[in-house]
Amino acid sequence: MQPLIAGLVRNRKALVGMIILLIIVLIALAAPLLTEYDPAARVGRPHQPPSAEHWLGTTRIGQDVFARLIYGARTSLAVGFGAGLLITVLGTALGIIAGYRGGKTDEAISFFTNMVLVVPNLPLLLVLASFIGQASPLVIAVILGCTSWAWGARVTRAETLSVKQKDFVKSAEMMGEPRWRIMTFEIFPNLISIVGINFIGSVIFAIITEATLEFLGLGDPKTVSWGMMLYNAQKASALSVGAWWDILTPCFALALLGIGLSLLNFAVDEIANPRLRTGNSMSRWSALIRSGEGRL
Amino acid sequence: MAFLLRRLGFYLAAFIAAATINFFLPRLMPGDPIQIMFSSTGTELSAENLASLKLTFGFVDGPLWQQYLTYLKSIFTGDLGRSIKYFPLPVTEVLGHALIWTVALMGTATLISFTLGTFLGILAAWRRGSVFDVVVSVGAIFATSVPAVVTSLIVLFFFGFTLNWFPTGYSADPALDPAFSLTYILSVLYHGILPMLTLCTVLTGGFAVTMRNNMINLLGEDYIVMGRAKGLSDSRVMIWYAARNALLPTVSSLAIAIGTVLGGSLVTEVVFNYPGLGNILYQAILARDYPVIQGQLLIMTIAMLVANFIVDISYVLLDPRLRRT
Amino acid sequence: MTAPLLQVKNLTIDYIGDSTDFRAVDDVSFDVARGEVFGLAGESGCGKSTIAFAISRLHKPPALIRSGRILLEGRDVLDLNPAQLRDFRWREVAMVFQSAMNSLNPVLRVQEQFYDVLRTHQKMNRAQARERTAEMLRLVDIPPDRMKDYPHQFSGGMRQRIVIAICLALNPKIVVMDEPTTALDVVVQREILQRINELRRTFGFSVLFITHDLGLMVQFCDRIGIMLAGKLVEQNTAENIYGAPQHDYTRKLWASFPSLHGEPVMEKVSI
Repeated sequence: MQPLIAGLVRNRKALVGMIILLIIVLIALAAPLLTEYDPAARVGRPHQPPSAEHWLGTTRIGQDVFARLIYGARTSLAVGFGAGLLITVLGTALGIIAGYRGGKTDEAISFFTNMVLVVPNLPLLLVLASFIGQASPLVIAVILGCTSWAWGARVTRAETLSVKQKDFVKSAEMMGEPRWRIMTFEIFPNLISIVGINFIGSVIFAIITEATLEFLGLGDPKTVSWGMMLYNAQKASALSVGAWWDILTPCFALALLGIGLSLLNFAVDEIANPRLRTGNSMSRWSALIRSGEGRL
Repeated sequence: MAFLLRRLGFYLAAFIAAATINFFLPRLMPGDPIQIMFSSTGTELSAENLASLKLTFGFVDGPLWQQYLTYLKSIFTGDLGRSIKYFPLPVTEVLGHALIWTVALMGTATLISFTLGTFLGILAAWRRGSVFDVVVSVGAIFATSVPAVVTSLIVLFFFGFTLNWFPTGYSADPALDPAFSLTYILSVLYHGILPMLTLCTVLTGGFAVTMRNNMINLLGEDYIVMGRAKGLSDSRVMIWYAARNALLPTVSSLAIAIGTVLGGSLVTEVVFNYPGLGNILYQAILARDYPVIQGQLLIMTIAMLVANFIVDISYVLLDPRLRRT
Repeated sequence: MTAPLLQVKNLTIDYIGDSTDFRAVDDVSFDVARGEVFGLAGESGCGKSTIAFAISRLHKPPALIRSGRILLEGRDVLDLNPAQLRDFRWREVAMVFQSAMNSLNPVLRVQEQFYDVLRTHQKMNRAQARERTAEMLRLVDIPPDRMKDYPHQFSGGMRQRIVIAICLALNPKIVVMDEPTTALDVVVQREILQRINELRRTFGFSVLFITHDLGLMVQFCDRIGIMLAGKLVEQNTAENIYGAPQHDYTRKLWASFPSLHGEPVMEKVSI
């Protein structure tokens, strides 16, 4: 845990990602202070371009795009982190249990995991969401959590199999520690970077998928979120009528959040897997070669 | 061979699982499942039509297991029911026509981006820490973390609406009759460029990163050092010693990536108004045309399983350790 | 006495770190004569493998040669351009690696792994290469018809013999062996070393033998260098390293084989 945090502080990708994420979180929290408009209310004439009054213009029914953007950030973040957490908890628990218990338990969990992996995720979600009707962000987060843990379970299981062979696990077994304690206190702490990667990856996935489901018309129309902004803008043919601000605003917001989280994810990966790192030593090495102080 | 047979058995189980979800979902919803399934649009079905639909989806008098078997039987005989929106067109016909466009679009995009991404990943790993590596890695982060919806909309906005370089919808000029003529084929290619560009942007980065990381993990292996020690050319070692081995884990991760490819292509089709499955599905969702929505899950699952099976076969072909049993 | 085949002069190699460097090899000099078996011993991390890799310039970033020369028949390896270096590798210096299980490319047939050497260096066509491959495999007691097999179809000892056969395919002047038998069990280990010795007598190549196993080394080598933390602390004939160790560290190394010392380890193997 310690080296992971220390590594994150020194990693440039992590720093940029963290700053992006922090800014978005702060804006989402401070939304009421940043705009006077109600994101759901009709506050101006339809499809007004950006102006001093409406910084990012208005939608076709005259809502303020900026207000919808910053309030919508709350939804994206909440669904992303909520579903991400659920996905990670399920995947990690199943992965550790399958990997550590082995035998029949492992076979059953692995079979189930692999099956979930080959049923295509988005089409499955479409079926689930369409029967639920107009899915609120909470419902979307829950069905995402329940259907998307398989990848995490698979990698966690693989990693557990190798940690299980380590001496400290063997000695804990010898001392007769109960299995749940071994899994929670001996194995889990050693999987922390895999769990971290799984978590951030799941958050990204959840944010993207929520926006996609809403864009495809499965969301609740009353929701203020980036996905519903996309849906409404697309339905209003915002691009063909030239109201680019209506559709590009949520686009760039989603892209920025995605990039911020991905930078964090890559950073964790680099720290967990030192071979992937291209650190300072490499640039010093090249510099020494160039200055003729060493030979290849 | 045993390996491939085991996989086939597994795929059958996965397909039945998808069908099971379809079967139980309407029955788990509050309210009358028949009401939910077949009356969500304005279309009024005659008693006769409704009865045949009910039979297809297993709404027969009898215990649940009998209903379930009835449903499985219709599926395995290729009867997915009829679309409510386009009644009386069978679901297989509605989806089958669209499937061709989707498979063509998705297949080409996957092929292009897998080849390109793998190649970029190989070079990036081989010149680790170079400017090229940094550009590829950072570019991949950007490309993979942006949702496909967003990428398609941005591509459509710039190349379609602002620059006016490419058409903003359809798979070919609607004025043309589908025919095996040069004009028609050129029109198809012209209309396909933007969706293809979007999908390749979304997919290439992921393949590049996977290949790069797999390859870097292998570079310390003794057989690669031995390849260099043998005095072989750099390209020989890079391709036949490093990349050829790194391709194995990359191909197996391709199987998982296919799900993402599918999702991405559905969304891209909606944005570009491309007549593939995605678009049909979008219309079906708006009309709550449940037989079509359920049918797409089964068809997509089959597509995914076929793709997985192709990956399995290529894995066996690529890895001599699996070839002989 | 003729000039030595390989001369390593004041070789210094650093591993470049994020802020400070680690000196892996510190001002090491030694010679290897024609036909001689020279051993480098020391515990893991003492820099002996780094030297082995540096001789064919196989060391990789962040390793960096800071100073020194590596002369083979008077020619400095460090001055070779990339094309000369490729030509030099394997033709003059061949190499056997530590892990027998892992030094053959798993996705290429054994004959391919011979062929790429023979084609690159001797421009042989496939038929010529097959003939040469069969000849080399026979030398190490592998049936030539198995050249169409993949590495995973051979046992660890067989794979290491195949590597040795590939090593000798071009009649190199010196074979560098970096712990060639650590991954193998004791019986196979002995078999392989005996085979190398026979082949050495037939073909007259030199061997730079690297191991942490001093007992094994005195049986096999003519002369031995003892390394400690990057420095070559003692260099002498095998007899003297065994019978009259000069440096404290050499004595300590021997002390770590209490049961062997005093027993006839030196019986110069029944090779």
